[in-house]
Amino acid sequence: MESNVPVSYQEVFRTDKGVVYQCDRTNRLILSFWGSTTPLSARDFAQFRRMVSTVNVHQMALSTDTADDVEILTIPRSERCYVLTLCEVIHLRELLNGASLMLELNSMLRECGCATLSTPS
Amino acid sequence: MKDLDRLRTLIKEPVELVLNQQIKMEMVSSSKYLAMAGWCDRNGYDHSAGFFYKQSEEERKHAMKLFHYLCDQGATAYSPDVPPVGQEFDTLRSVFESALDQEIAVTDSINRIIGVCRREGDYATEELMKWYVKEQVEEEYIARRCLELIDQIPADQVYYLDKKLASVTYDENPFEDE
Repeated sequence: MESNVPVSYQEVFRTDKGVVYQCDRTNRLILSFWGSTTPLSARDFAQFRRMVSTVNVHQMALSTDTADDVEILTIPRSERCYVLTLCEVIHLRELLNGASLMLELNSMLRECGCATLSTPS
Repeated sequence: MKDLDRLRTLIKEPVELVLNQQIKMEMVSSSKYLAMAGWCDRNGYDHSAGFFYKQSEEERKHAMKLFHYLCDQGATAYSPDVPPVGQEFDTLRSVFESALDQEIAVTDSINRIIGVCRREGDYATEELMKWYVKEQVEEEYIARRCLELIDQIPADQVYYLDKKLASVTYDENPFEDE
């Protein structure tokens, strides 16, 4: 993915574990995490972020039940799902929250009439 | 870079969140009023029961108005989980006291939503919420007036009290021009 990123993809946010792009051609956000790449609509992205942020990480950390070792997260309108450990949930949360913050910044720039975040030439 | 969230909806996430919380609150209110109606019905207060059945329907309509607004504007409305509500009351007075408590809680919540709308610059939703502000003035008046009547009408005139409670309305709308 890293070597052949389409030109229409603009990087929104990146961490060591993944990256979120925006494609203005398809109006999709592209989540690249844990070796997989998933295009999401803005609504599905927001829903998935909410899903990840409501995972009970305290329960995962404190419980001795094997069922609490992993969390299964289904991406909206996709056949893909993530089976994540506690650390991976935290990494995904960091990535999605960071991307969400950058998207919010982009909205604020547009609202106040400033140039929005980088547009490909 | 396109603002995809703005293309999707005019409602920002914090407003969407509080509106969904309000939908839940209205549905809980509806459930509480239904429990009050049931209590009144089985204790012989037929007119008060009718009053609370109507209130229960109204609260559901309030929730649905917000639900449709969110859906129409491209935001996400969630069908809420409604927790169990109390089914038993000590007296008719305690039923109306609970009703007033519930209305005050709803008013406070509406005011908080308007605060969020102003913070987020969402004037469209604020305009919608003004309808709820007016509605709450009426609802609180009715609940208070009912409690006044319970104090004023002698305890031995139960049938008259029940009938009178169900007939309380708020006609003096202070928001309309004369």
